[in-house]
Amino acid sequence: MANNSLMKVENISKIYQMGEVEVTAAKNINLELYQGEFVVILGPSGSGKSTLLNIIGGMDLPTEGRVFLKEEEITKYNDKRLTNYRREKIGFVFQFYNLMANLTARENVELATEICKDALDIDEIMKAVGLEDRKDHFPAQMSGGEQQRVAIARAVAKNPLILLCDEPTGALDFETGIKILSLLKKINKELNKTVVIITHNMPIGDMADRVIKMRSGELVEIKENKNPIPPERIEW
Amino acid sequence: MRKLDIRLLRMIKASKGQFISIAVVIILALTIYISFSMTFDNLNNTIDSYYDITNYGDVFVEVVRIPKAAIDQLYTIEGISMAQGRVMVDVPLKVENPNEKVRVRVVSIPKEEKPINKLFTIEGREVKKQIKATAMLRQFAEARGIGIGDKITPYIAGREYPLDVIGIVGSPEYIYLMENEQSILPAPEKFGVIYVGEDFAQSVFGYQGSYNQIMIKVDDESLYKIDTIIDEIEDQLDRYGVERIIKRDDQLSHKMMMEELDSLDKMSTAVPVLFLIVAGVIINIMLSRTVKNDRMAIGVMKALGYNNIQILQHYIKYSLSIGLIGSIFSIVFSIMLSRVFTNVYMQYMNIPIMRTEVYFIYIIYGVIFTSIFCILSGLMGARNVLRILPADSMRPEAPKIGKRVFLERIKPIWSKLTFSWKIVIRNIMRNKRRALFLIIGIALTYSITMVPIFMSYVFSDLFAIHYGEFQTMDFNIDFSKPMNNNGIKELSKVIDIEHIEPKLEFPFELNRGWRKKVVSVIGLNTNTEVYNFTSPQDESFTLSQEGIVLSEGLADSLKIKIGDEIILKNFLPNKEDTKIQVTGITQQYLGLNAYMNIEAMGKIIGEKGMITGALVNSSDDVTAKLNNVANINNIQSVEDMKNSFLEFMDMIIYSVGLLMLFGGILGFAIVYNVTIISISERLMEFSSLRVLGFDKNEIYKMITRENGLLTLLGIIIGIPVAYGMCYGIATAFDTDIFSIPVNITPISYIITAIATIIFVTVAQLATIRRIYKLNFIDALKSRIS
Ligand SMILES: Nc1ncnc2c1ncn2[C@@H]1O[C@H](COP(=O)(O)OP(=O)(O)OP(=O)(O)O)[C@@H](O)[C@H]1O
Ligand SMILES: [Mg+2]
Repeated sequence: MANNSLMKVENISKIYQMGEVEVTAAKNINLELYQGEFVVILGPSGSGKSTLLNIIGGMDLPTEGRVFLKEEEITKYNDKRLTNYRREKIGFVFQFYNLMANLTARENVELATEICKDALDIDEIMKAVGLEDRKDHFPAQMSGGEQQRVAIARAVAKNPLILLCDEPTGALDFETGIKILSLLKKINKELNKTVVIITHNMPIGDMADRVIKMRSGELVEIKENKNPIPPERIEW
Repeated sequence: MRKLDIRLLRMIKASKGQFISIAVVIILALTIYISFSMTFDNLNNTIDSYYDITNYGDVFVEVVRIPKAAIDQLYTIEGISMAQGRVMVDVPLKVENPNEKVRVRVVSIPKEEKPINKLFTIEGREVKKQIKATAMLRQFAEARGIGIGDKITPYIAGREYPLDVIGIVGSPEYIYLMENEQSILPAPEKFGVIYVGEDFAQSVFGYQGSYNQIMIKVDDESLYKIDTIIDEIEDQLDRYGVERIIKRDDQLSHKMMMEELDSLDKMSTAVPVLFLIVAGVIINIMLSRTVKNDRMAIGVMKALGYNNIQILQHYIKYSLSIGLIGSIFSIVFSIMLSRVFTNVYMQYMNIPIMRTEVYFIYIIYGVIFTSIFCILSGLMGARNVLRILPADSMRPEAPKIGKRVFLERIKPIWSKLTFSWKIVIRNIMRNKRRALFLIIGIALTYSITMVPIFMSYVFSDLFAIHYGEFQTMDFNIDFSKPMNNNGIKELSKVIDIEHIEPKLEFPFELNRGWRKKVVSVIGLNTNTEVYNFTSPQDESFTLSQEGIVLSEGLADSLKIKIGDEIILKNFLPNKEDTKIQVTGITQQYLGLNAYMNIEAMGKIIGEKGMITGALVNSSDDVTAKLNNVANINNIQSVEDMKNSFLEFMDMIIYSVGLLMLFGGILGFAIVYNVTIISISERLMEFSSLRVLGFDKNEIYKMITRENGLLTLLGIIIGIPVAYGMCYGIATAFDTDIFSIPVNITPISYIITAIATIIFVTVAQLATIRRIYKLNFIDALKSRIS
């Protein structure tokens, strides 16, 4: 792996104040993400995975610590620049796809691309995710896997620096899950995009360049995979 | 097209019922505003130019007799630009039916080049040198079916004078034709005005070379000091026996018109503002609910890099498009309606000319104001967009905290409720804001519906109380000249009488500080049987020997209370003004008057034992028997008053109906929207119930119960609100002619409640489709809008 640093997370903590109680969702996390790598974040429910991903994606701010994109410190950004950061640099894929119900597949993708500067060609992306003949369907007319592919197309079409996926296969069956992972891997390889995936599923870690393990808000282990396996060979 | 705009259009399409119902409220508001304002301007312009064309006078002085030379003297007063005399006498008119009493006012036409109150000839010729020719006021001609070429025969000093009608005319002083302040309602078939040559009038009435009325025009630059000019006029004319000085503002027709215009003006803003507020609140609630339900979608937009302004715009476009679409319809409707309204008013007001224009300024104001209003209520509703974080796109809706509702603590009540009622009450308490809005909306519907019902009852009450309780005479007879008690004896000989008593009635100016008012003061026997005075606190009282009793409206307008002293200024020559103490204030709903003991009043006038009329109770055919009796000027029968009132009622029935419709539309819009919002917000809940095996009817019944309970609460709260609104309307419509009592009959409350329930039910039925269309599988499947 060429150590071409893309993002750097320095000592971040996130504390939620719930009335009297404090919930520490993330504690002193240090992490670096490199250009073009495929990272899987593993950990039990409530361990702070989403919290970390949201902070990296500029969707949430840490209570403490700093986040850098290359030389830029995004934790110093004001709201406007943070919005712009999400718009131009980040592609996000959600567990429950989160498509706009009253927009068609294609329109959902366009919703994301029409506000960014160097978006990719939508038809090509739709073809790449295998949905060129479903592009005029509404989300309610598609299966979960299809909806998730639209969501991925939406994230990728923005041509972001980094693709963040929060349990992209969480709501899908095994077969479909594998298809989604292959798609993400393909995007990672062919477009040379950094991809970060959150999952509960240990075996998925085998396809990553690096696996990050979390527990109780803490980063407990970073494991490098010398030989990541192709997603088709994952079993669970 | 932007994808968010596509989403907006689909959002509108999916909620078109709501969209339309809010738009209708806005259309109503804006149409009323634009068309009423335009009508108001059209009428004002029409009246102004009519006054201009006809050279309408500024001051009118009634005198006993004045020679021409004395009128010319008036030009010495600075500010007076024209002064002309005329003869004006009310006389009976010969008609076919001997029982019908019809009177005409014979008015002479000044000979001057440029006469004041010039007649506007609608048909036929002008009366110039012709003798035995007359021009007749159009309203009277129409009401009696008299046309050009017909002959009419007034009795003048006991003689018949047949006259040829050669012209039908309009006059600026009789746009609204009423005999005098006591008339209350116009009766154009009973009273008319005819115009004759000056020489003819002077000779038949015995006014050779002189007049009994002066018309005066004041320079525009001097109008501001008209009161000083009037004082000077009064001083200068004192020895000619000034009976009354009326300035334009107090002239009956002008005053009625201005009141009419004034209420139009009030309506043109009050009603639209109320409607816009309702529309605004519906938009607010609707958008805030939509934003709440769209929380995840908004989170996604933010995660995709949309900023707050773009997302807020997206939602505000929804409310703005309601406003704009409403505006387009309103503009079209208003332009059409303002013509119709102006026309209707024109006919009602008897102005032979018409000035109508489209005033774009009101369209511009209206549209701008509506847009700003929609944007603001949209902003208020959608402001929670700001609070949604991009990370919210990943969190499912935080479950509502299940709390015990207040009622559950009251065990004895709670335990008696059935399970389904418990659910209903929990549901209501779970979303208090929505429940509150529904309650307020229903309270508002209730009160808006109450107003017309109240008005229609009040008008019949007004008459019933005035002519049944306050005054109990059957006939009010005015002599044509003051007499002594013999007049009463004479009357008793001609008609069978159950009760008769004298009255002395004269106009006085009542002064209190700088406030003044000219009213008829009525002198009565202290033990009068036909007037029943009641204090504002509902205690009855009688006249005292000395002192004066004022009607409540009069006391209010002069800011007088019992015990205060006022100055009575009379218009009789060489009579000093008198100071007098107010000893009572009486409720009186029609007209403004003051009352005194007849002897005390005679003393002030300086003619002891003088009377000007009689108050009579009789079941005899008084009108017919007195028709040909000399010295009787006027017989007012309560029966006639009632009949003209019934006609008047017909007219207000329409406006009542219209107001009811408005109330209904508001009620519909509120209940419909709230129900739809509550159904769509609870799709998941209903779907779960459906999965559990509830059927559609059971779910619908649940919503109906919720709305029913809230309607009940709304009506209860609506009662005081309605009272307040009626009180406000009563105060707003308080004039010298009417003072409206605010006592709402129980039956009004019930009728209003029934009407409200009907509106609510209609709205409720309109939402039934939603439940029956509900596809619960879809609802459970899709988690995001
Ligand atoms: N808005 C919030 N307010 C309070 N506490 C929160 C909030 N969001 C997350 N938490 C808490 O922070 C902790 C970490 O949450 P996070 O969503 O990051 O977990 P996760 O690892 O993504 O879990 P899962 O696999 O179930 O999605 C949890 O204990 C959670 O309860
Ligand atoms: Mg998570």
